[in-house]
Amino acid sequence: MNYWNEFTKGIWKKNPILIIGIGMCPTLAVSTSVSNALWMTLAATFVLVCSNILVSLARGITPSHIRIPVFIIIIAAFVTIVELVLKAYQEAVYDALGIFIPLIVVNCIILGRAEEYASKNNVVASTLDGLGMGLGFGFTLTVLAFFREILGANKLFGYTLIPGMEPSSAMILAPGAFFTLAIMLGMMNWINSRK
Amino acid sequence: MFNSIIKPSLVLLLVAFAASFSLSHIQKITYPNIIKMEKEKQDLALKLVLPGYRITGSKKAKVEGKEFEYWTAEKEEGGTAGYAFMVAGNGYSGPVESIVGIDDRGTILGMSILKQSETPGLGARCVEVSSKETLFDKLLEKTARNEIYMPWFQKQFSGLNSGEKIRILKKGEWNEGLMESLRKENAVLAITGATVTSVTVTESIKNGHELLKKALASGAEKKEAGK
Amino acid sequence: MEIKVLFTILLTTILINNYVLSQILGLCPFLGVSKKLDSAIGMGLAVIFVMTLASFITFIIYKYVLIPFNIEYLRTITFILVIAALVQLVEMMIEKFSPALYNALGIFLPLITTNCAVLGVAVLNINSGFVTADLGILKSVVQGFGGGVGFTLALLLMAGIRERLELAPIHKNLIGLPITFITAGLMALAFLGFSGMKI
Repeated sequence: MNYWNEFTKGIWKKNPILIIGIGMCPTLAVSTSVSNALWMTLAATFVLVCSNILVSLARGITPSHIRIPVFIIIIAAFVTIVELVLKAYQEAVYDALGIFIPLIVVNCIILGRAEEYASKNNVVASTLDGLGMGLGFGFTLTVLAFFREILGANKLFGYTLIPGMEPSSAMILAPGAFFTLAIMLGMMNWINSRK
Repeated sequence: MFNSIIKPSLVLLLVAFAASFSLSHIQKITYPNIIKMEKEKQDLALKLVLPGYRITGSKKAKVEGKEFEYWTAEKEEGGTAGYAFMVAGNGYSGPVESIVGIDDRGTILGMSILKQSETPGLGARCVEVSSKETLFDKLLEKTARNEIYMPWFQKQFSGLNSGEKIRILKKGEWNEGLMESLRKENAVLAITGATVTSVTVTESIKNGHELLKKALASGAEKKEAGK
Repeated sequence: MEIKVLFTILLTTILINNYVLSQILGLCPFLGVSKKLDSAIGMGLAVIFVMTLASFITFIIYKYVLIPFNIEYLRTITFILVIAALVQLVEMMIEKFSPALYNALGIFLPLITTNCAVLGVAVLNINSGFVTADLGILKSVVQGFGGGVGFTLALLLMAGIRERLELAPIHKNLIGLPITFITAGLMALAFLGFSGMKI
């Protein structure tokens, strides 16, 4: 097994958002600013890697027909850890991400990887797969957030870009999220079709 | 029987137990810090909304069947009384909680929004800091940023009369120069595209002022009765 | 007076704060099941049912179990388990009592567990301060029901448009998800119009 391959496939070839098309809700909702996107990436990748490791370790022991509830408990436990730690040490981030921290539980990427990959592969491969998928998720999220923050808030990393310019607030709201992702998906199709 | 019902239930129970067990430990570690952060946030907010005042007491009263939290304060030089109180209103997407400091004539000394979940870029701008500093200035290190700026939306409330209706005007972007004319009309500038948030805040302040009056009145009665 | 408040919550969750088009929740089923109108109706009904029931049960568990024992931090883990069990239960009940309905909804039911709108409404009910409010339980049930109706509305609109999009000439790079997202964006723009509504 080529471990390097397991790691990099999540970033481009099997990018969870752009290619597989899962995990859309947090992607669109949290990409209002680059710092939100980066924190979300960190939180989701932590949960993804940890749950992948545990699921992979328990892959022989869990009876197959109750595996989904077991996965959900494992994922929810890690999400709660993230919730508590952020609340205690990074309250501003906790407030900014709000409801989307508990909603990491239902991020289809995490349950999807546990079911599809970690329950069938060894610990090292599952860790790398989790890291790669997390990075792929984060990459898409950050690119989206970069454009949305510039166009929708006239800001980057929270600093104003052009003083006095009125930004287009539709970009920071739901429509902007849909349009930006549509353009990204279209670009992706275009790049892949030229090969 | 064993394989189909008891074994899976046992496994699930075990996993759930292990999860809650480890979570309770993490909760034990983080809990003191969560409380500390909340306390610090409140102290900072009290200092911000009652500048130059000393807090003399914090009280919780029941007004109209609802819990109402307020603080009494005293001016450091002069000894005139001041009050701070917590108010909450229903914003566009959830409650907006703020803390307001007033003097004994009802003039707002300062207000600070503690909790909000409004739409980023619209309602959430009620906590936005207005600064002329741009990313380029930051990168070129033209300006040093070490003082805490008060969000512009909250700054406009200082000096207004909380006893009267606070009006909401729409005049575009906020700047320092507008402060004087707004104060004359007992008005604040609305956040563009988020009038709901602005209305919520101004109305919750007015309600809070009335609740404070009632709480103080009932407190005074109790004192009389106690004597 | 309370009727007015409940009606406001209902209207807000359906139109102004539509879970799909303005809060961006529940996108996976929104994209996955909106290809055909028939299946969209089935999914929508199942979601309304589960969201209403989930709001009711999670609210009771939070108020009467988690708060008295001071274990609010177990909120996420409890809610998701309750929702998963609920979906499973509903599936078995429907299969037993109404096979016709089960045939129509069957394949969508398991999908609802990972619909973030369901967990979303359960968490939002707590965050909106309904726990301490008067008639909090009724308010959260209405919010859950409204959320489900709003989701169904968005899903049906989308399914109607997508059935027609099948026949439209679209640039080859935009076929599939991209054009769906552009449609969703235009719908979200239209729903933004409700945000100025005064109720």
